[in-house]
Amino acid sequence: MSYEMWAEKYRPKSLKDIINQKEIVDRLQSFVKAKNVPHCIFAGPPGTGKTTAALCLARDLYGKGYREHLMELNASDERGIKMVRETVKTFARTRSIGEIPFKILILDEADNMTSDAQQALRRTMERFTETCRFIMIANYSGKIIEPLQSRCAPFRFSYMSKEDQDRYLKHIIEEENIKILDEGYDAIFEVSEGDLRKATNTLQAAASMGKEIDTETVYSVIGRANPEDINKMIKTAMKGDFLEARKQLREMILKYGVAGSDIIKQIHTEIFRSMLPDSWKVTLSEAIGEIDFRLIQGADVEVQLSALLARLTEAGQELSRGG
Amino acid sequence: MSTTWTQKHRPQTLNEIVGNTEAKQQFLNWLKSWNKGIPKKRAALLHGPPGIGKTVTVEASAKELSIELVEKNASDYRTADAIKRFAGLASQYGTLFGGNRLILLDEMDGVSGKDDRGGVRELTNVLKTARSPVVLTANDAYDPRFRTIRNYCLVIAFKNPTVRETVSHLKRICAKEGIDADEEALKLIAERAERDVRSAVNDLQALAQGKNRLVIEDVKWLAGRDRKEVIFDVMRTILYSGDSWEAKKAVSSADVDPDMLFNWIYENTPYHLTDPHDLVKAMDYLALADIYRKRIMDTQYWTLLRYVIDFMSSGVAVSRQRSKASGWIPFRFPEKIRMLSRTKGERALQKALGMKIWKRCHISARRSTKEVIPYLKIIFENNPEMATGLSDWLDLDEEMIEYLAGNKKQTKAILAKLE
Repeated sequence: MSYEMWAEKYRPKSLKDIINQKEIVDRLQSFVKAKNVPHCIFAGPPGTGKTTAALCLARDLYGKGYREHLMELNASDERGIKMVRETVKTFARTRSIGEIPFKILILDEADNMTSDAQQALRRTMERFTETCRFIMIANYSGKIIEPLQSRCAPFRFSYMSKEDQDRYLKHIIEEENIKILDEGYDAIFEVSEGDLRKATNTLQAAASMGKEIDTETVYSVIGRANPEDINKMIKTAMKGDFLEARKQLREMILKYGVAGSDIIKQIHTEIFRSMLPDSWKVTLSEAIGEIDFRLIQGADVEVQLSALLARLTEAGQELSRGG
Repeated sequence: MSTTWTQKHRPQTLNEIVGNTEAKQQFLNWLKSWNKGIPKKRAALLHGPPGIGKTVTVEASAKELSIELVEKNASDYRTADAIKRFAGLASQYGTLFGGNRLILLDEMDGVSGKDDRGGVRELTNVLKTARSPVVLTANDAYDPRFRTIRNYCLVIAFKNPTVRETVSHLKRICAKEGIDADEEALKLIAERAERDVRSAVNDLQALAQGKNRLVIEDVKWLAGRDRKEVIFDVMRTILYSGDSWEAKKAVSSADVDPDMLFNWIYENTPYHLTDPHDLVKAMDYLALADIYRKRIMDTQYWTLLRYVIDFMSSGVAVSRQRSKASGWIPFRFPEKIRMLSRTKGERALQKALGMKIWKRCHISARRSTKEVIPYLKIIFENNPEMATGLSDWLDLDEEMIEYLAGNKKQTKAILAKLE
């Protein structure tokens, strides 16, 4: 066994190695052939190959020294207008030496940028088109402001099929000489839901345990890697134990770094799945929407979500009265 | 849950009372001397600052010598009439079956010299003729009111226990409550209480109840002078007055950092507003207050603070409609602050680790805390060999390795392989 993160070691190096997203790969290869790349948006769920495609594109385009022509930024670690103004401009304005006159800037988690930062990016993109092409990576293209979207070629990445994922994992398993049962593949697919990074990390953590990988191993990895449980918190609140639910919320936010937006998304889904009367669902949805908006504005995640938990406690009481 | 720790952990024996070794002994000796007949001084006056064990010394001594204790509090000896009523008790010899009786007049400071002149005189008579031991406690024995009384009493001074003695008392309580407390945290509590043991125990309860760990960060907020009482008063008004104006006034007049106060209210409200309907309203108001806090931060327009105060005081106060008051519920230290300070180091480490991962794995530090670090932890706990390779590849330092490995032994194994 070798000692890197396998998700990196087995990340495809060239567009031709990417086993899924056929249409996307075809179009990107045509860019390489033409030696011209437009500004792009790569949108899609996590672990579907967005970053990989961007890195492969750069490598295929520039060859070995591709690193010199490439810059990776992520909007969540270096957020805000300042980041765009300084880092991006410095990189974007200098001309690349070589056959291809532009550099590539990969902006990961672009949907995490404030709209102000996105507005600032709009002008930068236009001014430096000659010398720099942007690839913006996002889970939701909808969170990218319209003027930016209209300047970019959109690419939609979708989840990998089980066959494709199994094929990819099998390659790793052979290279690393791991023992795995067939049920291990099924379990990994089930827990990773088509997220290849998650699948590969799960495989590596399971392999580190040194036993033949079966369903149980996979589930023990997932159980330990995801100790936070949003559904459990929702249930606790609806059962009437607000204090315990708030405690779970705190741990999620502070200990496990769960994003407020993930929690709110889950609550929203669960409400509509619940047995609550329709009128309550709509009322709650209104509250959820308001709090979602407040979180975007930067309000305190715990305080805001606690207010929502109180609503769930009240709804739970209503439900137990009705039923 | 609703008992105070000062009651729950009240010392039962003289040994459990910290400090004042000589005073305790002196009192015990005087009490024992009653076995050999009426001593020269028929009363003892224990004096000293509040909360350091005068009353418990009397209680524990009575228990140790199996003497019946008759306790009177200030209202019983305020006036000459009241004193006459119990004077009879003192004039009798012991109890029917030969055991002695000890009469305790607690908190003599409650006797007002001006109104109760007759009372003091009457009391002096009782002390002169008592056939059972009488004990008085007071904060200031040299108050002119007590001048005559003093002459008939064995005066025993109680002093503040040292910080170390107070800490040892707090430790005993922590052990019983199953709390693993850092020495320096207890020391700070003791210092802040200015060696008033009772007040220190109350603080300990507010800070540590329901916890199994107490560290210095949990206690640091005490450093501000007298903030605790002010905060508690404000909270009582907000949670129980039901009066929007009173609540608002309490907050505005208290000289406390509004942010700190917000956290106290946010922490404690759910314990006191137990009806879900009330809770929804109160939490909504707190969420609204939070929005205005954010607006102030963004705009630095501090006049908006008045709305923060409105929502967190009046808003919460008027939310109480259906909740019933149910006994004494202690105020709790804001868990949010406690957790923030406790997880601060961890979060900084996660971030540093995240930056290392970002360099190698094309994933932001933020996302790596959820999507990479948990898997690394499993690997580091299970497979030192793979962990060694990864430490090298990611260029991790010792602290990061220990964080991922979770224990010293595994960390050592990995570090050994790295060299």
